[in-house]
Amino acid sequence: MAATLLAQTSGRALAGAREALSALGRFGIFAGQVGLRAVTPPFHLHLGWQHCWTTTTRCLPPVIAVCTPFGMVLSLQGLEIFELFGAQRLLSGLVSVSVLRELAPVLASVLVAAQGGSSCAAELGAMRIKEELDATEVMAVDSLRWHVVPRVLALTLACPLLNVAGGAAGLLGAFFTAVYVKGETAGVFLGELWSLAGPADVWGGVAKTTIFGATIGLIASYHGFHARGGAAGVGQAVNDTVVRSVLAFITLNYFLTSAFFGSAGP
Amino acid sequence: MTAPADLLRGASMALAGLLRRLAGPLRGLGGFAWFVLDFLVAAVRHRPPPGHTIREAFRIGIKSLPILVIISAFVGTNLALQGFHAFRPLGGGRLVGMFVSLAGVRELAPIIAASMVAAKAGTEMASQIGVMKIREQIDALEVMAVHPYAFLVAPRLLGILLVLPALTILSIFLMLASGYVVSVAQLGLNGAEFIHFASQGIRPVDFLYGALKAMYFGAVISLVSCWFGFTCGRGPEGVGQATNRAVVVSAVVCVTSNYFLSELLYGGGP
Repeated sequence: MAATLLAQTSGRALAGAREALSALGRFGIFAGQVGLRAVTPPFHLHLGWQHCWTTTTRCLPPVIAVCTPFGMVLSLQGLEIFELFGAQRLLSGLVSVSVLRELAPVLASVLVAAQGGSSCAAELGAMRIKEELDATEVMAVDSLRWHVVPRVLALTLACPLLNVAGGAAGLLGAFFTAVYVKGETAGVFLGELWSLAGPADVWGGVAKTTIFGATIGLIASYHGFHARGGAAGVGQAVNDTVVRSVLAFITLNYFLTSAFFGSAGP
Repeated sequence: MTAPADLLRGASMALAGLLRRLAGPLRGLGGFAWFVLDFLVAAVRHRPPPGHTIREAFRIGIKSLPILVIISAFVGTNLALQGFHAFRPLGGGRLVGMFVSLAGVRELAPIIAASMVAAKAGTEMASQIGVMKIREQIDALEVMAVHPYAFLVAPRLLGILLVLPALTILSIFLMLASGYVVSVAQLGLNGAEFIHFASQGIRPVDFLYGALKAMYFGAVISLVSCWFGFTCGRGPEGVGQATNRAVVVSAVVCVTSNYFLSELLYGGGP
């Protein structure tokens, strides 16, 4: 009795693991196909620009609306720690390092996944359900090249741009709270701003978000492209996109942070 | 045509364009306010179905658990790395524990748990209700004299209110644990010192505040997501768009109001 139960459970677990692995393999093949089409002609650059423009303008308000309060909170709680040592002047150094290295890249990517990635999955999914993608194939148009590659490129480009905007918004939010709410000196805040951070941190953030953007684009278009089962399938694709892309880049982030900025770096 | 008149006309046209663009979101805000009022009235008048609340709580909690565990663990590792870099110039590498506990407990755990639940359970609420709407199942409920808000929204709201504080507290401990592991194994700090400074950063009341924040976020997520489900447009794109908006709007509202909640709970003025 117990032995059969054990056998059944382990069999089911193995089948689940095999299913997960083969899904990962299918995703890898999809990513390879998209990557190949992204670097070989013919290019449809005008579509890429168009998608990039819509993604950036759609994601910009949420990115700013989220990064600014995060910078403000960072100032609020950071001052609490530094007041213990009477070292309030160190606040802006800490704020700029953590905003530029971590907060802006991660928050911008979360919102790009939530807004840009999920709308990419929803659009492609709706096209799949309405058989528009099949129609493009019938017309001998490569649907990956025409529909998927521009979207992935757009997300790859939009993510670093939004990261820079989010970083600026976070620093402004921190400045506002420190100077106008907590009454610190503006000159000290601005003077110490680059005491710990440097241009390398900005470029590191841009490099990270480029990788995150490509990851989001590939995951979103994979789920949208393979949506199944009517309107509910589109909802499921959007849900999977947001959850899996956030999971993917938070995991990547740890390794990229360790790689770019080093566990014992300068 | 003189220059000032041109300028005036340009300015008035820009203003009109701005007002027209504001009209949509404002109408949405008004619709949402009515939805919340209607829901409150319905929830008082019609008893929500028993049993559904526990089922929803179970579903929301279990489905969001794996992603929450993974994300919280990685956020904890990141906090430790960042805190170490920030405090080492001060000679305060030892303070990492305090940084992890302050930043993790007060700010990040509630907001991370809320955004993961918004991404997983909130999107699901929006797409489930949206699909019900376009299949006219909501109309069918009304025909059977069942109030859709009491039947569909109340169990989801109560379920998320039960589960999200628990997930937040779990996330706090996961962040501390992974911060400890990174500090000791990767950064080579003293474990006992980490625990000492971490416990200095936490007061018992912080857990209560974290749970309060979580309940507020839960209410926002469930009401916003259900509202986008109920106002879903037609066809597959409608469901996709509703799901998309539900996660973006609930995340933005949670993070923006988080600043004011923190200021209210922790900021004792200048």
